[in-house]
Amino acid sequence: MSAPRIMIVEDEALVALMVEDLLTDIGCQISGSFGAVDEALAYLKNAAVPPPALDGAVLDVNIGGTMVFPVAERLRAAGIPFVFATGYGALPRKGFEDVTVLNKPINPLLLEDAVKGFCKAA
Amino acid sequence: MLNVANADRSEQADHAALITLVETIEALSATRSIEDVAAVVRSAARRISGADGVCFVLRDGDKCWYLDEDAIGPMWKGQRFPLTACISGWAMLNGQTVVIPDIYVDDRIPHDAYRPTFVKSLVMTPVRLKDPIAAIGAYWAMGQTPSPDTVLKLETMARATAAAIENANLYASLTQALDRRTFLLRELDHRVKNTLASVQSIARQTLRNAPSPADFAESFESRLMGLSRAHELLTRQGWDRTDLRDILETALEPFGGLADPRFTARGPAVTLSAETAVGMHMTLHELMVNAAKHGALTTASGQVGVIWRIETLQDGIPSLVLEWVERGGPPVFVPKRRGFGTRLLEHGLARDLGGEAALTYQPKGLTYSLRVPLSERVADGMKVA
Repeated sequence: MSAPRIMIVEDEALVALMVEDLLTDIGCQISGSFGAVDEALAYLKNAAVPPPALDGAVLDVNIGGTMVFPVAERLRAAGIPFVFATGYGALPRKGFEDVTVLNKPINPLLLEDAVKGFCKAA
Repeated sequence: MLNVANADRSEQADHAALITLVETIEALSATRSIEDVAAVVRSAARRISGADGVCFVLRDGDKCWYLDEDAIGPMWKGQRFPLTACISGWAMLNGQTVVIPDIYVDDRIPHDAYRPTFVKSLVMTPVRLKDPIAAIGAYWAMGQTPSPDTVLKLETMARATAAAIENANLYASLTQALDRRTFLLRELDHRVKNTLASVQSIARQTLRNAPSPADFAESFESRLMGLSRAHELLTRQGWDRTDLRDILETALEPFGGLADPRFTARGPAVTLSAETAVGMHMTLHELMVNAAKHGALTTASGQVGVIWRIETLQDGIPSLVLEWVERGGPPVFVPKRRGFGTRLLEHGLARDLGGEAALTYQPKGLTYSLRVPLSERVADGMKVA
């Protein structure tokens, strides 16, 4: 498989820069990096038509006070795998028990595992 | 013989009322809310006073609120009357018990409100003599003068009720404080983890661009100290909104601050939310370090102007425009490598706030300009209360 195409939703630019680097370092291509839920949704509206332009996504949970779940639901409906990366101990919402949660600070090895998981799912 | 029997019965009734009073005081001491207090008063006041009806009235601003009642016929349960237009209001405003043997010859009584009821005589006693918060009323269907003993029992109950209401309020504020503590601990955990994630990012990116371990240590520590100073500033502000000028002052502090004549800073009051303030501080810190290492602040005659304003373009959205302009330093070249600082300046705050940022490398000096739409995170300081 060629470079996995990954989307990032993360409101803190500093953390987003690192996640972008971590993913690029393990051979991923960043298809989009967004700091707001509506920007990510607008992107998916165009990108999530088959064949999917995305192989996976890394989602922070609280995006400047807005919960990321609409993005998660859109990805799930399009069959695109994703993981959460959060500073909260537990997800503040039910319905995503099957999704991997990466705790912050992010362990790069676990992020790599998650990306491998995306590629298997694809 | 008959009188002796009556006296015995009356003594027994007195005794029973006294036991009820003691039990009521015990029950009141165990209550945890105003509703519980009202329920205890309601269920016991009739037995203690021997009245045909009792009611529990709360003071609600300038109104009397007839919260609960227990009576042979309906009274005013659930209704509110002005303090000045009813007898419970009189008792609360004057801080004293009132005894009225015949309500229809007393001007303080709103007779129209009493006509549909059974009431002919009453006792009304305030709860808490100093600044009353409630009142207990006892009512009789037959015109009579309630005995001093009855009045004393009602007043005793009112005193226990006052203590119970104080307790209920204390309990409520304690519960609230504990909830707040739990909330703050969770919030702290969240903030610490996010801060650690920022530090993780700073460490990795600094390492990525550092030519040597010594360079890494210097740059990393400088950024860490910057972050620490930003947190100090925020703690001073109670993690509330912070003024842009204070953030600038804090960022420039290690380099002499705004007192250094090479700095010019000018702009209106703009307030930032706590998270945005951290981002702004980091941005200004990077510019500052760069100016001190490579830019205008490497020479005695260099100048740094930081100018900001609120501007509305044709799109109608008011924005904060901030410019950092360096002059008088050594000639500026476009850097060969894009380091962490450059990336942070170009993609940091602008990305966070949905705006745009640009670094311009002109030979006469570096310019950084930021334009972000005003929002809850970045607000006009003159319009924020």
